[in-house]
Amino acid sequence: MSAVLSAPAAAPTDAAPARRARSLTHPPRTGLLLVAPALAMIAVFALAPLAFALGISFTNWPLIGEVEFAGLTNYVNIGNDLGFLRAVGYTLLYTAIVTLPILVLGYALAVLVRTRRRGATLLRTVFFLPFVVGLTTLSFIALLEAQPGSGAVNLVLAALGLTDGSTAWLVDGRLATVLISVLVIWGVSGLTMLLLMSGMQAIPREVYESADLDGASWWQQEWRITIPMLRRTIAMSLVISVIGSLLAFTQFYILTSGGPGSATTTVVLHIYKRAFVQLQLGSATALSIVLVVVVALVTALQLRLLRGEE
Amino acid sequence: MSSTSSRNDTGRRETRTKRVLYAVGGTGAFGVFTVPLAWGLFRSVQPGEVIVAAPDPATFFDLTAENFVALVTGPGNLIRAVGNSLVVALCTAALTTVLATAAGYGFARFRFRAAPVAFALVVASMMVPFQAILTPLYLQMNLMRLTDSLLGLVLFNTTVNLPFGVLVMRNAFSSVPGELEDSAHIDGASTFRIVTSVLRPLILPGAATVALYAFLAAWTEFLGALTFLTDRDLYTLPVAMVNLQQGTYGDINFGYIAAGSVIAMIPCVVLYVALQRFYVAGLGRGEGLSPAHMAR
Repeated sequence: MSAVLSAPAAAPTDAAPARRARSLTHPPRTGLLLVAPALAMIAVFALAPLAFALGISFTNWPLIGEVEFAGLTNYVNIGNDLGFLRAVGYTLLYTAIVTLPILVLGYALAVLVRTRRRGATLLRTVFFLPFVVGLTTLSFIALLEAQPGSGAVNLVLAALGLTDGSTAWLVDGRLATVLISVLVIWGVSGLTMLLLMSGMQAIPREVYESADLDGASWWQQEWRITIPMLRRTIAMSLVISVIGSLLAFTQFYILTSGGPGSATTTVVLHIYKRAFVQLQLGSATALSIVLVVVVALVTALQLRLLRGEE
Repeated sequence: MSSTSSRNDTGRRETRTKRVLYAVGGTGAFGVFTVPLAWGLFRSVQPGEVIVAAPDPATFFDLTAENFVALVTGPGNLIRAVGNSLVVALCTAALTTVLATAAGYGFARFRFRAAPVAFALVVASMMVPFQAILTPLYLQMNLMRLTDSLLGLVLFNTTVNLPFGVLVMRNAFSSVPGELEDSAHIDGASTFRIVTSVLRPLILPGAATVALYAFLAAWTEFLGALTFLTDRDLYTLPVAMVNLQQGTYGDINFGYIAAGSVIAMIPCVVLYVALQRFYVAGLGRGEGLSPAHMAR
């Protein structure tokens, strides 16, 4: 490291043959200086907290008072932490509910807009709008429309004759899960659409032309050509939506605060409450470490998929 | 080649059935995706008591600007929160773009011994979702006196957006031909001048992508702002709206929430529609998407 920083500017001609000639126009020192600020930010606000988290997780870490070393207690206690286990269960359930519909809806939308038909550009924009608006704002809009007797969700269902329009969506765990799942599926499938659409457009047209000559039907072309050729893109968008679901917080915080009771408490919401409501930072951080490991494993899968693609 | 005319641009056969399905499906889906947002817009000009009442034809279309007026003058004053959000989002976009441009140039064009390790750190940080390290991050920022500070929030948001920004800018610089820089060097231009004058037009689309993502992410960011801010005067828009919702300022008025949602929506929709090509270009194959983008 210091060799790079303090090395005398050797002329390229007398550099050792094994070493790459030092660039005069792009001196290594300048390169290091260019990346240093970004690196410092990441080190201070992402990597240091991670190291800090590991440290905290082995203590009781109260906000006020003596810090005591707690060894593995926090980790051992995870097994007895029914609230956390329930949150893990609920998060997995929620992930299982929304993942496939997001993929299927995203795929259907991508099929709709992948050609240069009239209006396809407008449709792409519109399908992606909810994702751009973001789940925070969408949750506030949903909050109004989920009210019994007055919200649009109930008005529409009543108009269709499915309910009497008085459903209190947000005070029942199951109903709230249904409502939030529908909101999220609607809100984020635009992202899956864009990723799949780019993948579909990259498939050479000759493949379909020859499939046509062989008499393959639309379904056969979709099943035998498009989906196999999109395997990695599909896997990527699955990984992306799974990570998003595992980290779900905003929509639950705004719409149900994790209730009633803890019926709709996700892992991040549980950790948030443990740390900032119950002020048990040590045990909250131990739970965080578990989450970091799980998400890192899924992200590593994402990077692996990308590398395999090249 | 007579069959070419009956194919669409993806090479698939174009049939009347498909065209009809496209028209029907497209129209239906258009409604599903626009009506809820348009409905939200409509709600913002309804009085709060109409929003929570069973719809009555007599009052349902009594449109009013009172929600927006109340947000400016009333007890739940959101103007300050909008200002805070704007400051945070603009500063985050500017800082992220500057830092990502510098680092992207460094990684794309310079050879230095620490480069592989440094780049690995950037990528590794994408695997650490801030949602999961919130507790230690809070403690650390508290120690650095960066909680209850818009600067702290800017630094936090910038870090969250940096890995994606660095990847985008590295790609942007890599695709610029090296001869351009060489001739500038011969003319005696400094590294700074080369980036800000010679390379600027070529890397501008990448920089726009980074700035757009950072702005939108910071504008809608919720969990961090909720955790790091306790001073009401510093609340960003989403946090101020949660306080409206939870009745911190007295009775909940759903009209205010509807109007606040519209204010929150406007910059997102306007920026996205205007700068869409940069947004889609940034998406690529999803390589730069970090958990922060996905869970928003």
